[in-house]
Amino acid sequence: MQGLTRRGWILAVALVATRRAFADTERFVIVVHPDNPVRAVDREFLRDAYLKKATDWGNGETIRPVDLATRFEVRDLFTREVLRKTPAQLRSYWNQQIFSGKGTPPVEADSIREMLEYIASNVGAIGYLPAGAAPARVKVVEVR
Amino acid sequence: MQGISLRAFVGAWVVTSVAIASAQPAPPVEPAPAPPPTVEPAPAAPPEPGPGLHLPELQIHGFASEGGFVSTANDYIGDSSQGDLHFFEAGLNVSTEVADRLRVGLQLFGRAEGRFHDLPPRLDWAYLDYRWQSWLGLRAGIIKMPFGLYNEYADIDAARLSILQPQAVYPLQDRSALLAQTGFSLYGEARLGGGGSLEYQAWLGTLDVPSNALNVNGATLDSVDTHYVTGAQVFWHPKLEGLRIGATYLRASLDFNLTLSPANIMAVVAAGLEPPTYDGKLVISQTPTTLIIGSAEYLLGDWTFAAEYSRWLTHQSSTLSALLPDFDRDNERFYVLAARRLSERFETGGYYSVYEVDANDRAGHDHAAFPIRSNAFQRDLAATLRFDVNPAWLWKVEAHFIDGTADLEPVQNPSPTRYWGLFLLKTTVTF
Repeated sequence: MQGLTRRGWILAVALVATRRAFADTERFVIVVHPDNPVRAVDREFLRDAYLKKATDWGNGETIRPVDLATRFEVRDLFTREVLRKTPAQLRSYWNQQIFSGKGTPPVEADSIREMLEYIASNVGAIGYLPAGAAPARVKVVEVR
Repeated sequence: MQGISLRAFVGAWVVTSVAIASAQPAPPVEPAPAPPPTVEPAPAAPPEPGPGLHLPELQIHGFASEGGFVSTANDYIGDSSQGDLHFFEAGLNVSTEVADRLRVGLQLFGRAEGRFHDLPPRLDWAYLDYRWQSWLGLRAGIIKMPFGLYNEYADIDAARLSILQPQAVYPLQDRSALLAQTGFSLYGEARLGGGGSLEYQAWLGTLDVPSNALNVNGATLDSVDTHYVTGAQVFWHPKLEGLRIGATYLRASLDFNLTLSPANIMAVVAAGLEPPTYDGKLVISQTPTTLIIGSAEYLLGDWTFAAEYSRWLTHQSSTLSALLPDFDRDNERFYVLAARRLSERFETGGYYSVYEVDANDRAGHDHAAFPIRSNAFQRDLAATLRFDVNPAWLWKVEAHFIDGTADLEPVQNPSPTRYWGLFLLKTTVTF
């Protein structure tokens, strides 16, 4: 360690910080309909879309988020890292929305195939998949 | 006639001139994206059923709760000093998206909680909701009344830790009067750039107060005329994740039309306050009732922290002013709350809730106003343990250690005990 210069330390810290910043998004990808002109979204937008606080893509097209079933690990990851809620808090949030009449949760896909079909057939749809799954018929967008 | 105690409460019109140049949280749109990489799906572990995503056209949800409660002294909610197993409530709602961004729905709600009965079930809320943009939506119909952090969610046992919400701010006995208003509501959420976001609502309507929503002693409540109920609510969500800070303002104007009991009619006539032909009709007006509350909530991982401070201001007059002089009342109500989810199945926490009938006489020194001094306040230290058997079924057990009797009904508690305990058990199924 004695050999690590000050510049080396700064570089190492920066690398660790960068790695952490990207660690979450490395584990899932965000996908939309191929005709959706969007190439990148930020986390705040994702959160608003999945909590149904945002209504459209900015071009009039309604956002249609789709969740994977709770048994998928990536759903838990997405809930914690993007929505910034524990699964219990998310359940509580949707119970509040449902029983006050304010809204209902995103549609839920029971399989990745279902999610892909839904996204491919709805221009405003948005979904997430485990990292490494960048399938045909949908478009991967960058998360900023 | 001192026995006439009205607990009313109200809602409002929101002046929200939220001319917030609502930044629709639009993602960056860039031209002609490059063709995405096409890789075959790499499904995560679980087996996949057949294709075809089922999108329910009609959403149906419901809940049902049962439980019981017992107190060491005093009768609270029901016959608590004897132990009371009337702690049932149930709701069923249906909603659907009839067009893009246009939803309609309704909920039926019934309960038999101690002395509070809403059976057969009645319409709890029913409205159409058009969310034109993120920053502006419109609701019309019977709409849940926003007040503080949790009034809109007062019935939703599964969405909170405690069995009884802090009673200083969310009194169970005001539930029927406070829960909803019939009218219009504007709402939305706007981003504030680096300043987080702002969530707002404003509403105008009337209250539908059922006759059993108010406690009237020595008279019967014939009807309640609401001239208006209006209010506004704003919550700021700063960049600090999980934090929201807000305020709610409610104002209402109400007339309670009563008929005195025969004994009270005779007493009024005998006292020469009314002629012998007096029919016992009496109007008590609360014009206005104003409620103000400041709220803060912070969700930090498995922790929830909340605090609210409220003042309820009432000017009351009556058509029998010789018997019921005009008065102004200034309630002070607040609580602090902390909860922690211990695991997927267990959550625990508690709150300290304080209700002071007169903010200018918190200890009840005015003997004329508070012949029983402890009727001037109620300080409630509560602790709850919640157990989720699964996402649809839960159990809760709760203990309250209470100093004061301000929230007790005088008729049921003519000689209340100042220090007392209340214990509750409840189970809820949600689907």
